[in-house]
Amino acid sequence: MADNVTQPELALEANRLTKRYGALTAIEDITFKVGPGEIVGFLGPNGAGKSTTLRILAGRLLATSGRATIWGESVALEPAKAKQHLAYMPENNPLPEDLRIREYLELRARLKGVDEDQVELRVDQSMHDCDLQGRAGMLIAHLSKGFRQRVGIADALLAEPKIILLDEPTIGLDPHQILGIRDLLRSLRGKMAVLISSHILAEVEQVCDRVIILNRGRIVAQGRTDELRRDLLPSRGHRVVAACTLAELERLTRAMDTQSTCREVRMVGDGWCEFRITLSPDSPARDQLLSSLVSAGLRVREVAEEQAGLEDIFLAATRRDNREVRT
Amino acid sequence: MRSFRVLLLHELRSTWLSWTTWATWALFLSLLGIIHWYAILACSRTPMPWTPTEAVFRWFPLPLLCILPLLTMRSLAEERRAGTLGALLTTPASALAVVTAKFTSVWLTWVIFWISFAIFPAVAAQALGASTDPRILDGVTLGGGIAFIALSGLLHVSIGMLCGSRTRSPGLAALMTFICLLGLTVSGGLLDALPSDGWEWLGWLKEPADHLRTVGHLEDFASGIIDSQPVVLYLTGCALCLGLTVLAIETAD
Repeated sequence: MADNVTQPELALEANRLTKRYGALTAIEDITFKVGPGEIVGFLGPNGAGKSTTLRILAGRLLATSGRATIWGESVALEPAKAKQHLAYMPENNPLPEDLRIREYLELRARLKGVDEDQVELRVDQSMHDCDLQGRAGMLIAHLSKGFRQRVGIADALLAEPKIILLDEPTIGLDPHQILGIRDLLRSLRGKMAVLISSHILAEVEQVCDRVIILNRGRIVAQGRTDELRRDLLPSRGHRVVAACTLAELERLTRAMDTQSTCREVRMVGDGWCEFRITLSPDSPARDQLLSSLVSAGLRVREVAEEQAGLEDIFLAATRRDNREVRT
Repeated sequence: MRSFRVLLLHELRSTWLSWTTWATWALFLSLLGIIHWYAILACSRTPMPWTPTEAVFRWFPLPLLCILPLLTMRSLAEERRAGTLGALLTTPASALAVVTAKFTSVWLTWVIFWISFAIFPAVAAQALGASTDPRILDGVTLGGGIAFIALSGLLHVSIGMLCGSRTRSPGLAALMTFICLLGLTVSGGLLDALPSDGWEWLGWLKEPADHLRTVGHLEDFASGIIDSQPVVLYLTGCALCLGLTVLAIETAD
């Protein structure tokens, strides 16, 4: 395995990548960076251009324009050098049906440049990491979808690459297997950069340091989820359960923040109601909501700030993009 | 170079562990065995100007067209269909290493098939006794013929590889290889057979036709005549086809 003595600042860089098929633009001006050891989620609806971008980064597709570098090596100009630092698991994870798991992994290890005396060790380690030890002698043709995915991930880990590109790694797995893969991916943090393409938001949210959101072939948002939450969903709501009327609550919140909105969600019972209050982004009332309501004499059972999930961020980012496209 | 060696060993192993290779080999030996048997029978009835081994080599286009497409059709088209070729190219192994390893594996298999044909003259000589006719073994023709098949096989196998790189269907790859090899094998003879009267405007085709007479080249080799023209033809043709195959694989989805 080739190893650079000096570690580059970036594990992976995509600079204005564009891919056109005739009149159809699959991706346009895709620019992002991934640092060493970072786990980044690549999100987008079907057809957003995630797989196209990953294939360009893996050297399996030439970009119409733009530049991709892996560990400082240009994918287009130095593909062999770039591929030495990279492992790529494509979406459908094609595997040769006529080989046994161990045979396949040994072949891949040799092709990836693992030293001959290390091949067996690396194969054993990868099979152990992916819980495949008991099935080393099984024909790949006889494996379930879940085990095929594990073989793909074991293959990606074989040569201890600097960067791993995983296209929908947990697709078709059962919940136990998904948890296992998540744990495995978390264990890679700090050791290798991982770019995970997925449309399963919960998976990305739990594993990734950062997310990149694609829509219609363009990046519509990227950053840490808390940054994106602040940027895309600045008006966070509060869930309040209090024994009062909507008019009373509205009067109190307007006194704290003139731009606030308030609506009744449902009756909880015994005079208690659930409300949703939305304050303006920089409102000082955010931190004093509970104390203000209590000091105004309201009977309050619960005040909770609603935390926007990745799903909300994703929807907000794609909605914003769709609106911009329409206008 | 390491990628080539690893891939070649893998390809040879896969080829010889596959029942289809053994079935194809059995078909090949059956075909040549029957031709050889009838040639011996013909020679035993009437003295012939050719030996049984020469007779088999004259039928060389038959196994070329029927057997070789079966060997080449799986190597690239099948892998493209399964998507494993793309996965292979995500490793540091280059498209050139992949193509040349697969090519070398099929070529070696093709040559091994033909070397195994030597068993028939050997068995016939043993069974009939060398005193019957010393020409039954005919080692010079056998050696020359196999050397030619090894040389021409470079071009023939590379044509099969090129056809396999253009499609995801092994069946279509075999059909395309069959058509290309048929064109290459019979075109020389057909052009040569054109009547000279009234076909003067086709005179320019005579020279290329002379270059393409595959069976003629085989007969020359089997007689110990080694001309540089076919050597150059087969080597350059092979390099061209393999180059195009590498380009096709690099740009394939």
